[in-house]
Amino acid sequence: MASSRDDFIIAIRSAFLKKSTQQKFSLLTLVFISIFIILLSSLDFKAVRYLKVGLSELVYRSSFIVSIPENFAKNSIINIIEYTTFFNKYQKNKDELGNLKSDFVSNEIIQYENQELKVLIDDYISSSNKILAKIIVDHDSPFLKSIIINKGSKDDIKIGTNIYDQSYLVGRVIEVNYKTSRVLLLSDLNSNVPVTIAPQNIQAIVTGSGDNFGQIKYIKAGLSEELIDESIVYTSGTGAIFKSGVPIGKLRSEKKGSSKRYNVEFYSDFTQLKYVFAEIITQIEIPKVEPEIVPTEDKSGELEESKLKILEDELKIIEETNSKFIEENENLTNKINDLNKQISILNNEIFSQKQQINQFNIDTQELEFLKLNLEHGHKCRKSFFNTDGFKVGTEEYKSCVLNGGRTGG
Amino acid sequence: MEVERVDNLKTKGTFSKLYTWLPIILLFVSVLNEFDFNYLKLEYFSFNFPFILIFFFTLKDFKHFDYLFVFFAGLLNDTVVGLPLGISSLSYTLICIATAYIRNITIRPSPIKDWFYFLFIISLINSLNYSVLTLFFSYDLILTNYIVNTTCTFLLYIIFLSLFKYYMKGIND
Repeated sequence: MASSRDDFIIAIRSAFLKKSTQQKFSLLTLVFISIFIILLSSLDFKAVRYLKVGLSELVYRSSFIVSIPENFAKNSIINIIEYTTFFNKYQKNKDELGNLKSDFVSNEIIQYENQELKVLIDDYISSSNKILAKIIVDHDSPFLKSIIINKGSKDDIKIGTNIYDQSYLVGRVIEVNYKTSRVLLLSDLNSNVPVTIAPQNIQAIVTGSGDNFGQIKYIKAGLSEELIDESIVYTSGTGAIFKSGVPIGKLRSEKKGSSKRYNVEFYSDFTQLKYVFAEIITQIEIPKVEPEIVPTEDKSGELEESKLKILEDELKIIEETNSKFIEENENLTNKINDLNKQISILNNEIFSQKQQINQFNIDTQELEFLKLNLEHGHKCRKSFFNTDGFKVGTEEYKSCVLNGGRTGG
Repeated sequence: MEVERVDNLKTKGTFSKLYTWLPIILLFVSVLNEFDFNYLKLEYFSFNFPFILIFFFTLKDFKHFDYLFVFFAGLLNDTVVGLPLGISSLSYTLICIATAYIRNITIRPSPIKDWFYFLFIISLINSLNYSVLTLFFSYDLILTNYIVNTTCTFLLYIIFLSLFKYYMKGIND
């Protein structure tokens, strides 16, 4: 037992510490260095960051060179497949181009309108400049969905810069080096994009699935029933991470048992990307327009004319407001008349109701008298045997009946 | 005639040098190029070629397969894939430790035993990777991908084993 434990310890010690003749470092040293590097990279020191940037630059370029033969083979296969379906695609593209041209014109008009409105509300205009970037590394890893582009801090790329394929959103920059950057694709599990779903105008978050589609998450309860297939998903701009109004994809529902899941089919095919656009945004403050002071002696005639115009305008406004007041007055008098009528009707109703109540009271009194008269009438009526009685119909007779036939006071 | 023979010898020498350094060159190419046939678009399919390469050649104690190069290959892999620096280096070094241990305790090597030992080691390392990335670096990862990757790497090991044995035979000859 003791010897087997000794063997184990010897084997472990030998594995960790013993260096072969060719080895320059023991494995234990390398393990410690690895852990040290992991700790340093997680602490994000400035020196480590610069080292990482330098290493990334070198490695990305090397990776690009090493990948050339594989990329060549891959592209050749894609080209062959594309040539076989070339004509059909051409026809389809021709039709789409016609539609897109008309859409483009209306889009331009909307853009101009938007800019004018922004000037009116004293907002800033974001002047965007899209620069073309080449994808140098795209390994389509099953774990992390990211690409490396050949533009970096030298080209004003910053962390968070939006990346497009044509006008479709592809992802955002998560790591910037001097001449290269890493882009986190929308399909990555760690990607979250606030979106609007049109035409229902529902706000949601699209997260990557690790595959080539996104998933709708964090939607308000009850709203998911309103979602329909083919709805357009575009960025809402919430959180200011992504620019608003950028198309992402189309909605596709998927039934999984009793529950329904909503996926986003991206407009752009991330596996076929060769070039992308990086949007460099610079904010330009709109200078506030100071009112110009016009010298009075030179332009006195013009000034009078403008004054007259202002007065005329004022007059017009006053006349308009007057007519509005008259209209309002008429309306109000009509309303008052209506109300008075209603009051008189109600008064009449009250009077008739009061009368009815009085009549009712009288009737009940008479009914009571008749009841008592039946019971005590003979005691109060004057007759041969009852000389103390009273003549029927007199007040005394009435009070006698009401007193229960007692004739005396 | 003599000059031609010297030239031939020189060419042969360069070629044989390149041939002996081939595993380490292949390791660097595979980490830089992510040699895993992902572009074939086979659903879920992926495997870790550096794991197979490191396991085989460190188990054989191949003299041109330096641990330091393996360590650097890990750093390159982290940079290319976008993982925190040092994760792959640690994984590769752990494979080296495991193979050094198995080499020390084995008297009669058996490929089948090695194969299953390889499964145990890569499962352990992938679990460690997954745990570190999700717990300490808050990465969102799909566990299924890791399991498939481990299984495919395990299954492909036996195919690459025969290829590497052929290579070793060439070296010994």
